[in-house]
Amino acid sequence: MKYFKLPDLGEGLQEAEIVEWHIAQGDEVSEDQTILSVETAKAIVDLPAPQAGKIVKLFGQPGDIVHVGDPLLEYDAESDDSGTVVGEMSGPSDDNAVQEDDFIIGSAHDDADVPAPVRERSVFSGGTPLKGVQRVMAKNMSRAHAEVVSVSIHDDVDIHAWQSGEDPTMRLVRAIAAACLAEPGLNTWYDGERMAVKQHEHIDLGIAVDTPDGLFVPVLRDIAGRDRADLRKGLNALREAVNTRKIPPEEMRGATITLSNFGTMAGRYANPVIVPPMVAILGAGKIRRQAVATDDGIEAHRVLPLSLSFDHRCVSGGEAARFLAAVMKDLGQP
Amino acid sequence: MSTPVPSSIEKPRYVAPPPLVYIEPSGKSNRDLPAQIDFDWLRQAYQHMSLIRALDKKAVALQRTGQMRTYPSCLGQEAVGIGTGMAMMDADVYVPYYRDQATLYLRGVQLKQILQLWGGDERGHLFDGAAKKDLPICVPIATQLTQAAGAAVALKSKGVKGAVVTSCGDGATSRGDFYEALNVAGLWQLPLVTVINNNQWAISVPRQMQSGTPTLAQKAVAAGIEGIQVDGNDVVAVFDAVNHALQKARSGKGPTLIEAITYRLGDHTTADDATRYRSASEVSDAWQREPIKRLQTWLHDHDAWDATREQSLHGEIKQQIERAVADYLAIEPAPVDDILRYQYADMTPALEQQRTWLLQRHGG
Repeated sequence: MKYFKLPDLGEGLQEAEIVEWHIAQGDEVSEDQTILSVETAKAIVDLPAPQAGKIVKLFGQPGDIVHVGDPLLEYDAESDDSGTVVGEMSGPSDDNAVQEDDFIIGSAHDDADVPAPVRERSVFSGGTPLKGVQRVMAKNMSRAHAEVVSVSIHDDVDIHAWQSGEDPTMRLVRAIAAACLAEPGLNTWYDGERMAVKQHEHIDLGIAVDTPDGLFVPVLRDIAGRDRADLRKGLNALREAVNTRKIPPEEMRGATITLSNFGTMAGRYANPVIVPPMVAILGAGKIRRQAVATDDGIEAHRVLPLSLSFDHRCVSGGEAARFLAAVMKDLGQP
Repeated sequence: MSTPVPSSIEKPRYVAPPPLVYIEPSGKSNRDLPAQIDFDWLRQAYQHMSLIRALDKKAVALQRTGQMRTYPSCLGQEAVGIGTGMAMMDADVYVPYYRDQATLYLRGVQLKQILQLWGGDERGHLFDGAAKKDLPICVPIATQLTQAAGAAVALKSKGVKGAVVTSCGDGATSRGDFYEALNVAGLWQLPLVTVINNNQWAISVPRQMQSGTPTLAQKAVAAGIEGIQVDGNDVVAVFDAVNHALQKARSGKGPTLIEAITYRLGDHTTADDATRYRSASEVSDAWQREPIKRLQTWLHDHDAWDATREQSLHGEIKQQIERAVADYLAIEPAPVDDILRYQYADMTPALEQQRTWLLQRHGG
């Protein structure tokens, strides 16, 4: 039998998602006729038939993820084996060789040393394969769970002093910047394999954005070095790019610390997950009114609940608590 | 993100003349063609461009089926390469960049070798014929330009009659190397012809975000050399400008910068997806100006071409491409120690040790 297997369509891309078949089982195809469209991390690519012949089988449906070397289709042929593309089926491809360099949320620019994720055997057959950002999320979360020693601390900050109409997200961005300056140890990357810490000069904040397709984490660059209007503009542009799916992969790489502002929906506290090589993530819950004892008696103040997770392998409880205190000090200001 | 230069800036004092064109996008010509251009020449140009387009299409298909590495398509820019190549003589030296398949072919590089190069096999660079003294294709942006200026210095100091032709994209004209090469070329009056393939896109950066200059050709003015802007989709205009520049260079009258205005109808390379940053309407508009169709129309209108000739040309091209692909796929992989063999005339002891290890591990 002759198979056409998925080639590397970019420069080191390892997988692609089937978008559309342009032929059906049983079709006679001519050489270079477009047979299939697939989407890689970089592009939607039309694949031509490597040779003429009758197609007896198509592997995979639209939405399926195929790895380089996996069969795409089977030609009706006796035995000819004519090379790497249209060749005999070999054993299953080495799944552990899979490396995702693109679209890894918050990943480092150079994460070649990161061990491959632990792969589990399937416990049921069928089901829908995860795709796109959902798939990226699944991989990153597994890796984070396997690697990071995460500790979370929680507190409420009194934001009674805020002007009306204050923008909580921008205040959180500012507070994280202030806290990173106070405790730079949380604005670092940690490589557990080499036990090496890299201190960042700039603070590049990953901001979790929820979309119908799944979680995106675009990166707001240099939050300590830009003014508020510029940051707001930058954040809006990132959100817009995410919502229209025009965000380039490099805009989602290289975050040094993360903010998850889940309180815009619901929830008070969480144990946010740190995506390595980052070492900290701050979660912000829903703002609520609470009875507060003041010198003048009981007052209803608005409070913002905070959840800070840190990687205890390289960040001490003291550093984390001082970081949280710095966040709260900044948020408590008018 | 960078932004286009605001339109409010003061108009520059230098106003470039309109680009040179003989055969308009419609296939009509509004002026007499240069004297040395006859039907045979035009038919040849047409055949060369058609062949290169077919090769280009096949190379992309080979990449999509895993039989070719990353490949930079020259779709739509065939007239730039063919017009340049047809103006060159054997005595000239060519210093190409990565989108110069068409000129390389006219320099005598076999189609098989062009595929071999992009198949990741550097032995494709063992050029023969006129190309024997040409330089390998240059992938880093603009570095070929200073090398070309150096080659022009060599020709001049040796008193060789030829000239150096080099080319680059519109993006390369923003690099320091571009200005450095132009500067010495003007200062030392080098026999150097620089052809800019202005295909409007430097990967995803459009021409208007590349430079504030109204034309790229006028960058020549500051270097004190002649700058010419041509319709890069008109093979006659490209030929005429390069021919003029070469005659000038060969007779010691100095360098020329030529901006050939064309359009990259394909992706930057097979690792790119241009639909992510440019509109379908812009591309379909550009197809109206592409180089092959307009020449075909001209030839038809002058009874110099017909359906029979077209059909037989396509048959020939198909055979040529099939042969080139078969020859390319039959090439034995390079020996593993090639990776070490080209750095020194005599291998150092350390390299020799590595070579022994490599051969033991991966076989000779």
